[in-house]
Amino acid sequence: MTPPKNEQIQAALAEQAAEWFVADDTGPLDADDSAALIAWLKTSPMHVEEFLRTAVIARDLGGAAAGLGTVEGLIARAKAEDSRPVQRYWLRGLRAVQNPPRWQTAMVTMAAVGVISLGVLCLSKFGFFADRSAANGFTELHFVTNHGEQQTQRLPDSSVLHINTDTAIAVRYSKTERIIVLESGEADFEVAHESDRAFRVYAGPAVAIAHGTQFDVRLTHDLATVTVIEGLVGVGRSESSQMPEPLELTANQQTSVWKDGRPLAPISVDAHRSTAWLHKQIVFDHQALEQVAAEFNRYAEKPIEITTPELGKLEISGTVSTEDSEEFVAFLRSLEGVRVEVTKTRILVSKNLSNTAAHEYTR
Amino acid sequence: MSAPKPSFVERLFAEHAGALQAFFRRRVQSKADAQDLAQEVYLRMLRVSDQEAIRNPVLYLYTVANNLAKEQVVLDRRRASGVDVEEAESHEQLQRLPTFDVELDQAQRTERLLVVLKQLSPKCQAAVALRFTEGLSYREVALRMGVSAQMVKKYVAHALVHCRRRMARLE
Repeated sequence: MTPPKNEQIQAALAEQAAEWFVADDTGPLDADDSAALIAWLKTSPMHVEEFLRTAVIARDLGGAAAGLGTVEGLIARAKAEDSRPVQRYWLRGLRAVQNPPRWQTAMVTMAAVGVISLGVLCLSKFGFFADRSAANGFTELHFVTNHGEQQTQRLPDSSVLHINTDTAIAVRYSKTERIIVLESGEADFEVAHESDRAFRVYAGPAVAIAHGTQFDVRLTHDLATVTVIEGLVGVGRSESSQMPEPLELTANQQTSVWKDGRPLAPISVDAHRSTAWLHKQIVFDHQALEQVAAEFNRYAEKPIEITTPELGKLEISGTVSTEDSEEFVAFLRSLEGVRVEVTKTRILVSKNLSNTAAHEYTR
Repeated sequence: MSAPKPSFVERLFAEHAGALQAFFRRRVQSKADAQDLAQEVYLRMLRVSDQEAIRNPVLYLYTVANNLAKEQVVLDRRRASGVDVEEAESHEQLQRLPTFDVELDQAQRTERLLVVLKQLSPKCQAAVALRFTEGLSYREVALRMGVSAQMVKKYVAHALVHCRRRMARLE
């Protein structure tokens, strides 16, 4: 068997130590649990160190958490978390939802220690862990962003997830795979390299597979668009049970996958334009106003509505902030023949009929 | 005898007056040193019979670690007084800078820990504050938060893992 990565061992150890710490912190351990804890500690010096470090963290947390605000405020926020329709950030199941098979626990222990006899000794004691599903199950995380909101999250393997507006995403890590499901919206992935644990992003009809790279995936209805910023990414259909040869994309290439379709031939793009949202910008170059407005509306509090349809075809170029609608409004006002009206709920863009230059863009 | 136990952490830090902290604070400067010490604690744990340790494993572990930390202080002093001046100076220089750093670290540590804490969900934050800052029992925390004690344990365990992993990256 291939030994688990150091990072994975550390993560498993940290979880086990925390479980033990809390179990002990709750009240007296019974004789069985005490014996199991001793056995766990005696497995390796790493276990001892991890437990002591966890204890020090717990101790320091008392002081640090004092800086979080009043207890009443914290409780109120914790309770409000339930009633919010869309949670900004939550962890479902916190950890393993299903119990890991016991041999898995033992395997990690053995690999971490390299002493098989001790590992076997622990096997019998680890019922405690399996019951509490503490050890090395899978990690499942869910992230949701609201309209106009963006988030950056570091994942357990140190990969970084940048989540764009109106996005729902599920992260599921196990010992053998790293799976991301983009349920809606858009995200950018900086993938930490792991040669034996591929990083798969499922987005509607498409799946993108990487080992260590950076790429962007956007899902709109039935269309998934994958843009590679760095490295190499394989893109295939998510539904096909037998994975056909995935299309390979390199930096500055983009492909789209429609529902019921194969990945389209890659096209060259400026990947940094596709990921301008990471810097809270929209970059457009000779793009139709209606497209730019649609892009802007992904973030805007007040959406842009183009009331004169032909104006939608007007090609514009520039860079605007996704956070500052005034900037975009000023930009639109600077266009000849365009009238902009900002109401309480929308930004209305129409043709300014009084302007004689209007025919210039109507073509 | 099994008197109701407040909490091992509470007892540890009440009874051992921060020696454990010193243990890591002094040693954390070098990862290898910390591992050496953990190794030594581990070896001492191996030497005792389970019956001895079993009554209160965590308290036992802390005691071993503490004794070791105290011995280390004595050893260091002896070593410092036994060496010649030139060596003592370089030894001091070696000691002083990292010690200074570590003191700085300690102030920053709480600050960083706060940053790391804020990355957690409001529920985890509340559970941590109520348990570790306010010192409420898990059951009391559960009552205040209106969730089960089991969930509070999960929140606290999750917070510990999160903080431990994030802080480890900074070490």
